[in-house]
Amino acid sequence: MIVRIAFKNIWRNRLRSWTLIIAIALGIFGGLAVVSAATGLTNMRQRNAISTYVSHIQIHDSNYLKYAGLEDLIANENEVVSYLEKSEKVNGVSARLRLESFVQSAGGSSGIVLNGIHPESEKQVTNLYTKLQDSNYLERYKRKSPILISQRLADKLNARIKTTLQVSFTGADEIPITGVFKVVDIFQTSNSLYDDLNAFVRLEDLQALSGVMGSHEIAITLHDDDEVEGLKQELEIKFPTHHIASWRGIAPELGYADKMMGLVMTIFLIIIMLALAFGIVNTMLMAVLERKKELGMLISVGMNKQKVFWMIVWESIFLALIAGPIGIVAAYLGVNFFGTYGIDLSFAAKGLRSVGLESTLFPELDSNYYLIISILVVCTAILSCIYPAYKALKLNPAETIRTA
Amino acid sequence: MIHVSNVTKTYDDGTIKVNALRGIDLEIREGEFTAIVGPSGSGKTTLLNIIGGLDSATTGKIEIGSTDISTLSENELIDFRLNHIGFVFQSYNLIPVLTAKENVEFLMLLQKKSEEEREKRTTKLLQAVGLADQINKKPNEMSGGQQQRVAVARALASKPDFVLADEPTANLDSKSTANLLDIMLELNKQENITFVFSTHDQRVIDRAKRIITVEDGQVLSDVTKG
Repeated sequence: MIVRIAFKNIWRNRLRSWTLIIAIALGIFGGLAVVSAATGLTNMRQRNAISTYVSHIQIHDSNYLKYAGLEDLIANENEVVSYLEKSEKVNGVSARLRLESFVQSAGGSSGIVLNGIHPESEKQVTNLYTKLQDSNYLERYKRKSPILISQRLADKLNARIKTTLQVSFTGADEIPITGVFKVVDIFQTSNSLYDDLNAFVRLEDLQALSGVMGSHEIAITLHDDDEVEGLKQELEIKFPTHHIASWRGIAPELGYADKMMGLVMTIFLIIIMLALAFGIVNTMLMAVLERKKELGMLISVGMNKQKVFWMIVWESIFLALIAGPIGIVAAYLGVNFFGTYGIDLSFAAKGLRSVGLESTLFPELDSNYYLIISILVVCTAILSCIYPAYKALKLNPAETIRTA
Repeated sequence: MIHVSNVTKTYDDGTIKVNALRGIDLEIREGEFTAIVGPSGSGKTTLLNIIGGLDSATTGKIEIGSTDISTLSENELIDFRLNHIGFVFQSYNLIPVLTAKENVEFLMLLQKKSEEEREKRTTKLLQAVGLADQINKKPNEMSGGQQQRVAVARALASKPDFVLADEPTANLDSKSTANLLDIMLELNKQENITFVFSTHDQRVIDRAKRIITVEDGQVLSDVTKG
């Protein structure tokens, strides 16, 4: 009976109840929309970083990360690569020779890292080949030494496809070495800093030019993201003299962004719940004060105060239970729609690329969030009606039943 | 039996003390149809509230049957009211979201009566107050007189020892007042239900069997009609 009266009570003032319900639903929708957009951005940045330049795991010689010396090559590289290629967890393995170089064209110059790669193996660990203007990857060129540069570097060097570039670096014994490469294609990733600093040539061309036979880096991608830390530990045991790092260690800012986003989401949800709580407190307080006489009558005729208290609590719960699903369903539909078709942010593409993001955002939301929000909404509704319910308990029936 | 012994009530807001009741002694017996009359501010509503356990006496004792209600805790008092006292208020005070039937049934639900018993008694009471054909109407769909008759039926639903009615006819026209009084007198006569009114409505005073006049917080006269 109490529950039925409570449900009927919320429709006494339909305009006020619907206003509150819509406000709660919009708050939930807005909160989930922002959380899903932020999750989409974080995940996009993480995925881009992993698939474009970080990979899941990288292996280096221990000295390479300190000195980046030409001679800091990975010992027993073939054994490592062979071990990884046999692992069922591993999707792709690519060894790289990385040299800090100076690139010059007729139109400009820039400091870069020249990456010597196996084009076929590299396809397994990065998506660079999908970022090319004309899809002319390195493996197609037999006669001349091809090089891939980014659009940003091309602009800086005033270069284009077929431009010849001169690349210089310090070889073994401090001897300067210069090589000539022809631009065969131009790439553009979602990370402008990466684009500024990296160029790619075939590993055999760079080894022949530098006389360095080996690799500085082995990049690995896995089938399953969740196995990264497990494989890392396995490799640390298997190759204890090598430096093994997962993407979290290589690009800690990605991990921090993940944690930071978790914190931001929590703060955001707290703000939404506080707004919801104040809305409910305000509405329920008005509802209690408007019905002082009736509540006084109920107490007078024998309805005990616990029942009055629970009647107010149920009214709040009903408001939240109506508003919650509306907000959650709206958010679910919105996240699904934009998660499929994306949100076009091309008007801010340049700025987004500078922080490793693409211009189409695909919102994502873990299904747990819907459950968490539902529970939080009900809890907030219960907590926020305690004060109005307490005010109802404090009513003096003898006074209230005589109020006009 | 209601036994009121030397009851006083003083309202003190810190600056002014108002003596609303100054030593009231009364006895109301089962089956009486009693009106407590007096001008505004005489203390009749305060007396009714104290008898009904809605307010507490500053001094003195209220015994209903064998229970001294001044010794009951707040929750015990609410339970006592539910099971022993019926209330009829000046402005009906029905629950606006419930139908006439649900309003009458409400107290029996609080008493945890069975559905069968609730159904039977609700029908009987609504028939007794002449509203058998209005059971599904909400208060805002009924006239003031009809609402007050529902309020009487609700007051009797819990099978109380007596009914306290605070100016029950104040908002009613002559026809509705006469009709309501007929119903209450009939219930008093046939079911021996005790009614205690506070009123200054001459129409009620004329039909009351006992008239207790209160003035300045004291009983001025207590007349039982032959």
